[in-house]
Amino acid sequence: MINFSDLGFIFRFLPVFLIAFYLTPATYRSVTLLIGSLAFYAVGDLKGFAVLGTAIVVNYLFGKAIGSEKRKYLLAFIVCIDALMLVEFKLLSQFVYNSFMPIGISFFTFKMISYQADLYMGKIDEEPGFIETAAYFCMFPQVVSGPIMRFSDYQKKTYFQTKEAIFSAIEDGLRFFTLGLGMKVLLADHLAMLWNDIGTIGYESISTPLAWIGAACYSLELYFDFWGYSLMAAGIGVMLGFPFVVNFDQPYSAKNVSEFYRRWHASLGSWFRDYIYIPLGGSRVSEGRIFLNLLVVWLITGFWHGVTLNFILWGLIIFVIIAFERFVIPGKIPVALGKIIGRVNVLILIPLTWVIFAISDFRGLLDYFKRLFPFFGKGIAVNSSDYIKNLGIYGGFLAVALILLLPGLYRFFERNRKHPVFTVLLFILFWICVYSLSNAAGNPFMYFRF
Amino acid sequence: MKLIKTCPLLFGVIITAILISVISFALKGTVYKDYAASGNIDTPILATFFKAASDGVYPWTKAGKADTEQVEGISESIIETDRGDGEIDTLTLEAIDEIESGTGVDESIISANDISGDDISGNSEEVYEFTEVDDDYFTDALFIGDSRTVGLSEYCEELDSRATFYSKISLTIYDAMNTEFIKTDNGKITVEQALSENQFSKIYIMLGLNEIGTGTPETFCKAYKTVIDRIRELQPDAIIYIQSIMHVTEKKSSSDEYFNNENINIRNNALSELADNKTVFYLDMNEAVDDENGNLLAELSFDDVHLKASSYERWHQYLLANAIVKE
Repeated sequence: MINFSDLGFIFRFLPVFLIAFYLTPATYRSVTLLIGSLAFYAVGDLKGFAVLGTAIVVNYLFGKAIGSEKRKYLLAFIVCIDALMLVEFKLLSQFVYNSFMPIGISFFTFKMISYQADLYMGKIDEEPGFIETAAYFCMFPQVVSGPIMRFSDYQKKTYFQTKEAIFSAIEDGLRFFTLGLGMKVLLADHLAMLWNDIGTIGYESISTPLAWIGAACYSLELYFDFWGYSLMAAGIGVMLGFPFVVNFDQPYSAKNVSEFYRRWHASLGSWFRDYIYIPLGGSRVSEGRIFLNLLVVWLITGFWHGVTLNFILWGLIIFVIIAFERFVIPGKIPVALGKIIGRVNVLILIPLTWVIFAISDFRGLLDYFKRLFPFFGKGIAVNSSDYIKNLGIYGGFLAVALILLLPGLYRFFERNRKHPVFTVLLFILFWICVYSLSNAAGNPFMYFRF
Repeated sequence: MKLIKTCPLLFGVIITAILISVISFALKGTVYKDYAASGNIDTPILATFFKAASDGVYPWTKAGKADTEQVEGISESIIETDRGDGEIDTLTLEAIDEIESGTGVDESIISANDISGDDISGNSEEVYEFTEVDDDYFTDALFIGDSRTVGLSEYCEELDSRATFYSKISLTIYDAMNTEFIKTDNGKITVEQALSENQFSKIYIMLGLNEIGTGTPETFCKAYKTVIDRIRELQPDAIIYIQSIMHVTEKKSSSDEYFNNENINIRNNALSELADNKTVFYLDMNEAVDDENGNLLAELSFDDVHLKASSYERWHQYLLANAIVKE
């Protein structure tokens, strides 16, 4: 149920919660949000619930102290506690037992750190009460996978009073939710099957065309999975009166990799900018220091995504590309060529970095890259026409995913989403998703087909 | 009315959801009988409607395809009689007699006689042993199977270039003979039709994983036997190899309620008894891919169920080393 694309969530939790939320008098709605979110979390991860609960209380108390006294050591102390908690659970889950990881801990700790820093820097106006703080930390639309909303945005919520306003907010949120659901269920989940099929063949045995299709496929899967999720999260937020959080803004239309990462998972990127990069001096320091700051940011970004070495390698490679774009391209390379390199980095290097992101064991990673660039020897038992078969099965999904990369399409939806034609299309999309989910969920024999 | 204008999508979704839920609930004892039971409480009832729809069952479809009861009848009768190991042929025959009127597979009695009866007992003294052969052995061989056999055809060049493959992802013993999936110039035909048109000297079958969560080992074996009998009829001279259902890895086996090696072994044991070692042989191909605990070797598989492309060679080698040569 702790998953937005779960029928139990869509048809049980969400409607019941919305009714309860809007039956509550406006001033007490945060209480409803808090209780609903805690229930949501407890159903998904009871062990993690204790961790989340403790973290909420501790952070609230420290926040109170920081808000009134503005002591730097207090801030440093609680930030260290939060960071250590995150690191510890990441290490425990990696090296001891993987269900030690409380759901969403990477996201709610980052919210907590930003909350403490914002309080210290005076970015939060009035001193927040416990209910507001706790509801912000654990609000169910964001607790599992973000977006990492700032407390100041949380405070911008609207307290709808009239029936008209309430219903039009839910309607608008539902439109974003449905679009996100479609991306996740119809695109990402099917592309995931192709990526899984490639693993089933074995990376050492795929043809070079299939290796490249696989890189594209995984990149698109990741994009539509996370963008879809973010749209669903933002849509639920809109239903509750929160401002729409833009987490993905057409990243593949970016001119270079640093722009890509301002548009990809933007709430995480801006978190790193505001709470790590700028405190380290940002771009106002010497070139050597900027270089070092970028390295720190990307090493931590890698670690944040996962503890295994491939994530660190992934972060380092992104760092190298960004450093190249920043220190080598300007001035040293003709402008036109620099522009081309920037686009190539986004459209070709980024998918290759996602392969590193996807494959956690080095042996497999090496095998995959050997098939991408077959100059280093042949594969084992390669069927050279494997890509034709897979394009036959998944080509349609890949094509739709590629078309949806065109930035104009989403903007068109955003502007015209209330048009009757979109109403009909979204209605159909919604029920196709439900059809697909019904046949995948709770029925192992439909799902596993060998 | 004004509200409906404000939120047409919301109202459309709510009304449809209520309608579908009501339909699903009202029909759960009749049209949706087979679907409502499989849904657990975690899934909202309206999922029933969509699950059924994907099988082509709609609210207006007539209720009571009473097959289920008959299948249960079969399994009971076999369980009751299945006491000794050696007598499986007669036991199965009895069971077939009991249910014959219901299933409408007229051939099965006759063909069951073919296999367990006396008409080939003339050369029954001859004992066949598995021997080693070379790849040309497979030029007149046929492989029938699910995705695992599809994998064999895709990643074992030696076999694919010589043998014929009637294999399809998610194929089960129940639909093996009558699903139209074999491509010919005149469209798709069933295995049964294809076997009426083409003759093979060796027929390798590996089926049984997809259906492991359905029916019982007895109903499964019964269906398997029916298929073999029918093949025997269409291909009187072919050597039929029943390949064991390949194991899954320890990881899968220990975490899956259905797809585990315990279940697979139960069915494999039953399958091994369908062999008469005269014309039907049982091949325990798991010998080629198992670890010391009888699970599929983890390094041979990525998804814990299928062999990786590079691992099919083990299967191929096993088949080369375990063949029957007559005359």
